[in-house]
Amino acid sequence: MKSKIQILDGGMGTQLQALGLPLGGIPEVWNITEPDKVIRVHEGYLAAGSDVVYTNTFGANRYKMAASGYTVRELIGAAVRNARKACFAHPGTKVALDIGPIGKMLAPLGDLSFEEAYDIFAEEIEAGAEADLIVIETMSDLYETKAALLAAKERSDKPVYVTMSFEANARTFTGTSIDCMALTLSGLGADAIGFNCSLGPEELAPMVKRLYEITELPIVLKPNAGLPDPVTNTYNVSPDEFADCIAELLPYGIAAVGGCCGTTPEYIRALKKRVDAFLSEEKEYDLPGKTKLTGICSSTDAVWFSEPRVIGERINPTGKKKFQEALRAGDMDYILSQAVSQVEAGADILDVNVGLPGVDEKEMMVRVVRELQAVVNVPLQIDSNIPEVVEAALRAYNGRALVNSVNGEEKSLAGILPIVRKYGAAVVGLTLDEGGIPKQAEGRFAIAKRIVERAEALGIRRRDIQIDCLTLTASAEQEAVKETLTALKMAREQLGTGAVLGVSNISFGLPNRDLVNSTFLTLALQNGLTLPIMNPNSEAMMGALRAYRLLMNIDEHAIAFTEAYKNFVPQKAEAKPGAEIPVGAVQDETEGKIRAQFGDAPAELYAAVLSGRAERGEKLTVELLKTMDSMDLVNGVLIPALDTVGAGFEKGTVFLPQLILSASVVQGAFGRIKEHMQSTGMKQVSKGEIVLATVKGDIHDIGKNIVKVLLENYGFTVHDLGKDVPPEAVVEAAKKTGAPLVGLSALMTTTLGSMEETIRALKAAGLSCKTVVGGAVLTPEYAKSIGADYYGSDAKATVDIAKEVFGC
Amino acid sequence: MVKLKPINRKEAALYLGYGKNEPDEVIKNLMDECEGPLMDACHPAFSFGVFDILTCSEEKIVLSECTLTLTGKDIGKLLRGCSKAVLFAATLGSGVDALLRKLQITNMPKALLTDAMAGAAIEQICNDFQEDLQARFPNMQQTMRYSPGYGDLPLDLQKDLLATLEAGKRIGLSVTESNMLTPLKSVTAIIGLRDIEEEERLNRLKDALASGADINAELSIGNCGKEACEGCAYAAKCHRGDRKE
Repeated sequence: MKSKIQILDGGMGTQLQALGLPLGGIPEVWNITEPDKVIRVHEGYLAAGSDVVYTNTFGANRYKMAASGYTVRELIGAAVRNARKACFAHPGTKVALDIGPIGKMLAPLGDLSFEEAYDIFAEEIEAGAEADLIVIETMSDLYETKAALLAAKERSDKPVYVTMSFEANARTFTGTSIDCMALTLSGLGADAIGFNCSLGPEELAPMVKRLYEITELPIVLKPNAGLPDPVTNTYNVSPDEFADCIAELLPYGIAAVGGCCGTTPEYIRALKKRVDAFLSEEKEYDLPGKTKLTGICSSTDAVWFSEPRVIGERINPTGKKKFQEALRAGDMDYILSQAVSQVEAGADILDVNVGLPGVDEKEMMVRVVRELQAVVNVPLQIDSNIPEVVEAALRAYNGRALVNSVNGEEKSLAGILPIVRKYGAAVVGLTLDEGGIPKQAEGRFAIAKRIVERAEALGIRRRDIQIDCLTLTASAEQEAVKETLTALKMAREQLGTGAVLGVSNISFGLPNRDLVNSTFLTLALQNGLTLPIMNPNSEAMMGALRAYRLLMNIDEHAIAFTEAYKNFVPQKAEAKPGAEIPVGAVQDETEGKIRAQFGDAPAELYAAVLSGRAERGEKLTVELLKTMDSMDLVNGVLIPALDTVGAGFEKGTVFLPQLILSASVVQGAFGRIKEHMQSTGMKQVSKGEIVLATVKGDIHDIGKNIVKVLLENYGFTVHDLGKDVPPEAVVEAAKKTGAPLVGLSALMTTTLGSMEETIRALKAAGLSCKTVVGGAVLTPEYAKSIGADYYGSDAKATVDIAKEVFGC
Repeated sequence: MVKLKPINRKEAALYLGYGKNEPDEVIKNLMDECEGPLMDACHPAFSFGVFDILTCSEEKIVLSECTLTLTGKDIGKLLRGCSKAVLFAATLGSGVDALLRKLQITNMPKALLTDAMAGAAIEQICNDFQEDLQARFPNMQQTMRYSPGYGDLPLDLQKDLLATLEAGKRIGLSVTESNMLTPLKSVTAIIGLRDIEEEERLNRLKDALASGADINAELSIGNCGKEACEGCAYAAKCHRGDRKE
């Protein structure tokens, strides 16, 4: 017995345009000014066979309706009444509250925050409380879709359909794939998901088939009438062609179907005929099976747990001094660079742990999750056992995350699992409880079983649970290693869950840790480990994993293996590293002086900075630190090199890319010097503190970031507040740091106002700091007129200003 | 699908402040390394609409079949003598924004180069569009591309221009509160189309005026082919209106 298929309606905008709505006019206003025409469109669809009509509220949000002269409540209220009026004559038909995209991009792409987006949608949903169901449609940003769906689930108990718009490359404009959509939206509790707009039924057909394989939810389909002609704006698929094409797709789990742009009641009539025929025929279809896998995702990349996947462990302050410092200072660049290097080394997922005494874990977790997702595409594992932290992170997360972790303790089960369920995450279950970690495998298995039972009772699927049987240190509890492996095998075989292990713990306190780690990894994989948590920058462990994938025929035809080792040269015991190409001498006056005062290697470092040789520069720095005083290295070599480049820049013989390239060499060298000073217990000397920000409303910040690199080169401590920074935040940072200099950037004329406002706010707060401003449209005169103390024409000029302010 | 040509390196170098100078080998090599990831991150798309110009006065231009009005003296000057206005919006897509964010963390020199190269790429998309437009309207001459924010054409126009082109839905382009386009590497513009014959006529008129000739004779008054004098640049010099009285 086939289940019923709802017939939805067709295009609204094009129908209203046919009734006289001009292009660029606000269709929603007609709910109040021309209700008869709106009702006429609904009636057209109902007469053609629609079971559900969408209210004329696609853009009825407070942002798009700002100039309409009506409130969201008025427009949506009238729209629902119009639809209801039309439905009266057609018993059993339903009114769907239509919610489209806000029309602004969410951060980090745009300036709209997730919370604001949520509020905008919540207002729409509450205004449309009288509708029978909610449809969220034409979405291209998964994050915005999540805000809408969360608002719908939290502010209403009506069913919610969610459809997104995909381009011909099977991704939305913001890069979301079908897999990411399915994983995220089904997790968040959508009642049906699918596609609308952007393409015709033929182009959407393969996407419908893919979605069918990976979702358990019913599918909604509302294609355009083919593709539009760019000049005439007419669509190229006739009602019968449209309906025929969709008829082929009906067996693929379609539960609701209609049309979008360019479709009219004729299309719906044709569609209704095909749907009726499909429902009455008795034909068996040979359909592909549904996946039994689970996976997690970011907004763009899905990772299915179909084979071992590497979870990078490096974003974690435990035992890492540098990381702890970065967290305390809010130094996101360091944390983000850790993330990027792990992804480049082959991490499929990144664990994120920011728990550190003195740091507000909840606030920091949300910030780090958002910053990470702006820079890396891999999905994240939220690592905290505090329910409030986990919930805040899952709310802020774009995609479907893995939570690390719940354990067998009652407090943990009761605190974590409901949150995992609500946000549709996958979850790691640790096999420990109030009694600690059981010594024997059976004890750990029993806890795993309990976790699975509790999770399933809440509606969390078994496949979404990843059991962690806990790695104990071999040097302390040698006999426990086998127990971990046995428990792991039992969980995989008897419970059918996935399995996680923090691999590197095993070798703590032993020499040649890489050897122990990689051997243990291989053993664990053989016993069914699916998600090793490890350091992807460890060549030995990544190598063991690659070899395992090769030997188990996961890496078919050894493609990944041979790619990874195509340039592999076996290392002989006495092999020496290949000779490095030294940097040619630059032979200027400064180089001569450096050579005379410090020797050949410092002169080469000077030349390395000038010619932009970052790797060589770092190597030389490491070597020189063994013999040379670090302050001599900075003040005698690196700063003079920067000065030479800067002077060339001012003369016009050196150009911006070269200046920045040299700056990045110095940045690398500084990194080594800092490490050296930390390890030898030397105090680092800062030339002074500077606050930098791109002002409120401005999202172009590359210029500010360039200034930052150069300032740091010259030894200043920069507090970078990022972009789109409100005046209050600048004032607060200036107060907190006591920085004598605040730098502000703005790219466009429209944001110069907020630059002026920020300077005014700094003065009003009674701060004595100086201000330096810069940006493409600024002039020295304008800078003066808005009360700035200095105008930085470029990055080099800004450094000179800083030197003047700090008297160095 | 919009195809992207190889990046115009000269254009990118110009954005980087090289002027007439050429980047050295180190920078050129770095640019080579940047090009692949940039091309992968680009998903260029554009949306446009061709509208008849209903009235074109000094301060205001009204277009057919849409609610958009263009205001300002400069756009009036640009569209003088044009019968059609093309509204245009193009973007490289949000992938480029993501790439630039990542590079600013990992490799600032590459971020700087990629930013400039992306600027050259969007310029190229616009130029290609204009070539394509020329092929569609072979008898028309295009004005320069004119964007909101140029001269006295208000930047506030962005939101309405995007709404008219349904750019959000069609190419994923929107604006921030302060009228910045998102994704960042995007362009909106207005291009005027004028009949080439009309253009020639205007030029003849200009020459005649310059030589002090009687333009009434030159154009046989009242026979200029225009339906109304309003919006005509030469209304004050021409006496068609007088003759009607």
